[in-house]
Amino acid sequence: MSNYVLQAEDVAIHYGGVKAVDGVALTLERGQIRGLIGPNGAGKSTVIDAITGRRRLTRGRVHLGGEDVSELGAVERRKRGLSRSFQRTSIFGQMKVRQQVELASYKMGVADSGADADAVLKELDLYALSNATAEDLGYGEQRRLDLALALVGRPTVLLLDEPMAGLSVKESLDLAQHLKALTSRWDVSVLLVEHDMDVVFGISDVVTVFELGRVIASGDPATVRADARVREAYLGSAA
Amino acid sequence: MTIPKLFLSAVVALAVGAAVAAFGGSGKVLSLLTQAVIYAVFAIGVGLLLRQNGMVSFGHALFFGTSGYAIGIILQMQLMPAEAAIVLTLIAMGLIAFLMGLVMVRVPGVAFGMLTLAVGQMAFLSASRSRGVTGGADGMNVDWPSTLFGAPVSVLVQPHTMFMVCWATLVVVMLVLALLLRSRFGSITEAVRDNEERARFIGIRTLAPRAAVYALSAVVVGLSGVLSALNTGFVSPENLHWSLSGVSLMMVVVGGYKVLWGPALGAVVYFLAKDILGDYANHWMAIFGVALITVIVFSPTGIAGALQRLVHGKKAAPAARASHGH
Amino acid sequence: MLTINLFNGLVYGALLIVMCSGLALIYGLRRVVNFAHGSLYMLGAYLGYSIAMRSNFWVALVAVPAIMAMLGVLLDRYGFRLLQDRDPLSVVLVTFGLLLIIEDFVQTVWGKSNLSVPAPAALSTSIDLFGTPVPAYRLAVIAVGAGVALGLTLWLRYSKVGLFVRAASTDPTTTAMQGVNTDALSAGVVGLGTALAGLAGVVSAPFLSLSPSMSSDVIIDSFVVVVVGGLGSLSGAFIAAMGLGMVQALGAVYLPNAAVLLPFMLMVGILIWKPSGFAGSRT
Repeated sequence: MSNYVLQAEDVAIHYGGVKAVDGVALTLERGQIRGLIGPNGAGKSTVIDAITGRRRLTRGRVHLGGEDVSELGAVERRKRGLSRSFQRTSIFGQMKVRQQVELASYKMGVADSGADADAVLKELDLYALSNATAEDLGYGEQRRLDLALALVGRPTVLLLDEPMAGLSVKESLDLAQHLKALTSRWDVSVLLVEHDMDVVFGISDVVTVFELGRVIASGDPATVRADARVREAYLGSAA
Repeated sequence: MTIPKLFLSAVVALAVGAAVAAFGGSGKVLSLLTQAVIYAVFAIGVGLLLRQNGMVSFGHALFFGTSGYAIGIILQMQLMPAEAAIVLTLIAMGLIAFLMGLVMVRVPGVAFGMLTLAVGQMAFLSASRSRGVTGGADGMNVDWPSTLFGAPVSVLVQPHTMFMVCWATLVVVMLVLALLLRSRFGSITEAVRDNEERARFIGIRTLAPRAAVYALSAVVVGLSGVLSALNTGFVSPENLHWSLSGVSLMMVVVGGYKVLWGPALGAVVYFLAKDILGDYANHWMAIFGVALITVIVFSPTGIAGALQRLVHGKKAAPAARASHGH
Repeated sequence: MLTINLFNGLVYGALLIVMCSGLALIYGLRRVVNFAHGSLYMLGAYLGYSIAMRSNFWVALVAVPAIMAMLGVLLDRYGFRLLQDRDPLSVVLVTFGLLLIIEDFVQTVWGKSNLSVPAPAALSTSIDLFGTPVPAYRLAVIAVGAGVALGLTLWLRYSKVGLFVRAASTDPTTTAMQGVNTDALSAGVVGLGTALAGLAGVVSAPFLSLSPSMSSDVIIDSFVVVVVGGLGSLSGAFIAAMGLGMVQALGAVYLPNAAVLLPFMLMVGILIWKPSGFAGSRT
């Protein structure tokens, strides 16, 4: 069990009569990229929320690097190396780009937070905008800033919630390849929620498919793609 | 502004103040200016809460009046020398406000405003009705001793010296706050203000910083209360009333809360307007009401914001953006 | 003695019902905490005074709410509607500015001294209540309060417009999408809210004297009622209003200091433990 950097066991999230997530098990090995796909409302983002502590678990446990973090809050989980980005861009509008990324690095206890921030900004092509105010950035730049806030501070496990949302096809593929190379270089394990099939099947080592709050298939991309249930539920026969 | 420049500005400001004190004319003018400066410190405290926490308090007069009452009561009961009373009051105020903040800052939006209103009014009512301790609705005198921090009080209350003392306090407060806000503490509180949720997801525990800002704003306002008690030698329940909090808020909004000096500008404008308006001064409430509404609708960042736009030119379209976030 | 105090509590409670239902309605539809509500109450009282002095009380009783309703419609159309995309605190500060303007207007037109309005002749008698004589006028005030509470409840529950109002209070966007003219509805409801404030003012004049501080005195109480009752909840406001009326009246006699602070402590407690009834979380 404790070979996994991240493990979710029988995770369930119910609220107000809705079973958003109902008994989900997930694992992530070190250096792996696991893609999470499924129709809208299937519970993918809610699972991310559960794992990162944004939502309370109705049932189940979450283990980070062998440690049970189910009772810990978002701040504690982040400090243990669990980082996330947001589907709806969540940045610090009135602060400058470099200022907020450096702050995020500092809070993670990185000794040279300035250098860490610069490195991340360069990787995400934001270095030139270091002194710009976040709310003045364009959409794509703000998405990358959201990502930067998650990447900085040397996380061990990175949960990305639709990082390509709103980007063009080419931009998405470029970012995807870049992220794959980056996370490999920095030894970060990734859980990636995405709608873009080309991206997910392009860079993931393993894929998990959701439907109605449950996992209906899990495995390497080729196998999942061929799975009849998955095709029926989600991909359609054209896949 | 770089740090050396900040210190230089402070020194220049002190020099300007000294000049005003020496050549500023009659005692009456200086008295008016002194009042304006005291309110400027008050407004800066209220503005700090709005700027760093994004929170509007309708009850900060609580700290203005309480510091005056605390010192008045301590001096009346002769518990300790006045110098100690001042220091102790401010420290205790900061600690208590921090504890209050831990509970209160969790309350969001307008609810927080109403909470501060309720707490402030409780203090007002308590003070009005505690005749034995606070002198009740009539208020109480603050029996300052003959010397304070080595200086003779009879000299201190002269218009020229009083103005200088208050002005110096204003400058020092602004300097200290400016330095504090560019520190790590400033960044952390800005992040929490901008996006409290994301702040947690980058590892910031958000409650303590916000409570600390609340406490800091309380101490600044408390300090203005001390100055007021020194200036008038008197404290009354009116110093705790919500209308006083409301006026200070007005100064903050009209002056502009985004820059440190905005609220001070608001206080000056308020007093100048009251004076200049002359005959119309009787209608100052309506005029300020209109000013408040005008500012909120057309320039939410206040006069200071408008001035900045004028000077910087290129920052032209923030009016629309400013309406979306503090 | 107890009867009189309880009775007075009912009277004040009835007054609060009329006033606070207006505040709750405005909040429910526009998500605005109207800091100017107490001033509107005061304005209604003073307008009532002037009209009653020139003709009679009954004319004032009808005219003042009508005038205040028009004011409310204008307030919504040119105030709340235009500011609806701004953060709630901005709008609250605007209502605070409005409060200042109204206070100034009242002081300018009517001066700073206390004024009084005599009760109408028909109600200037005493009626026997459980052996204690009570002024008929105050009994009428209780009737007005009860009437408003009943009327609003029935209207919201059973009329079509009432249905729209409840829908718009819960979810303005969807309601608008269903074809309900939410702007006209809001203007109407805000007008109703301000009319109620004015009605409370007119009704209060004969038994509370008019003074420039009457708005301050009452605005805090009405906030307490509306918070304790659950912001936006009319029935909660009714109950809380009665409760507060009782506490004030009984407390004034038996436990003055505690009674005065109790409503605030309740309000503070509720705001801290359950502020979730409120809109206006950070932008």
